[in-house]
Amino acid sequence: MFERDDETTVERVIQHLRRPVAIDAGLDARVMQAIAKAPPQRRRVRPLWPLLAAAAVLAAVLIARPWTRSVPKADTLQFVLIAPQAASVALVGDFNDWDPARAPMQTAHGVWATMVRLEPGRYRYAFLVNGVEWRADPSAPAAKDDEFGTPSSVVTVGGRGS
Amino acid sequence: MILATLLLVTQVAAQDPRLERLDPDARSAVAAIVDSAHGIGLPVEPLIQRALEGATKGAPSARIVAAVRRLTVDLGTARTALGTNAVPAELEAAVAALRAGATPEVLAHLRDVRRPPLTMALSVLADLVASGVPADSAAAAVLALAPKARDADLVEFRRAVERDIALGAPPAAATSVRVNAGANAVFTQGSDPGNPAPPRPRRP
Repeated sequence: MFERDDETTVERVIQHLRRPVAIDAGLDARVMQAIAKAPPQRRRVRPLWPLLAAAAVLAAVLIARPWTRSVPKADTLQFVLIAPQAASVALVGDFNDWDPARAPMQTAHGVWATMVRLEPGRYRYAFLVNGVEWRADPSAPAAKDDEFGTPSSVVTVGGRGS
Repeated sequence: MILATLLLVTQVAAQDPRLERLDPDARSAVAAIVDSAHGIGLPVEPLIQRALEGATKGAPSARIVAAVRRLTVDLGTARTALGTNAVPAELEAAVAALRAGATPEVLAHLRDVRRPPLTMALSVLADLVASGVPADSAAAAVLALAPKARDADLVEFRRAVERDIALGAPPAAATSVRVNAGANAVFTQGSDPGNPAPPRPRRP
């Protein structure tokens, strides 16, 4: 019973869909007229130059890294003197006001050593052995302009890729 | 006038208690020099350090004062050559270069070809001369390398020249050979960019 009703319904739908559709004869003309009246639409292209300029500035900053140039780099240096017979050795120089009491060196089997953190600059220094004997650092450039009659050495901390 | 001078000297000495280590005669003279240097914008710390060096080494007062005065003059010459933008460390290194025999024109040329700071370049110049390299050869070498070399490159260059000299090479020849050898051959010796050594305290 239900199957018969369904077939009838489907048949009706098919007949309905097969009916010819009446289209207004002036439709095409009206559509074309409306298109002709519409203002021409220009496609907006977003300009690229601001993005390119920003990228160029960013690249320049990253390459130059100006913040690294303005911050001087300190460096930790190790000073060593081999003096097996010495009872005491002090490192004195421009970095500690030439005060022997401020930089006593530690020894291990006659090798005296100490570490000093230095800001960028050129420093004169010397070793004071047993409180009386001045020695230059044999592993560093000599201070050529010694005006006090005792040897000194120089060390330079650059702060630019050093 | 005398009273004003005395007040000024007393004021400077009071500002820096480190000068108390000097004899009274040297102290007042050094304080006056330091104050005048400060007045014309020169760095005063190198002057104080030079005075303290003399005091610790037991130098006579007259020699200490002469050394401080001479350093003041040289700092002024260095600043004239490098310009008023030079930092104290550069001026100190420039003094060493001047005393090694570099001319103010060399310093000015270096300022023009190298990006600051110039401290290491000037120091290497002075150190090369101290190693026996003629001043004009040292200046020419540093000027040739200065535009592109890093500070570490200049230090390695100086060490290479010193090694060659220690092995018997004439200083001027060692310098020119190392300059002509080219930056890559000289500066990358023994380095392995793919396997960098761990950081450690370096030696002077």
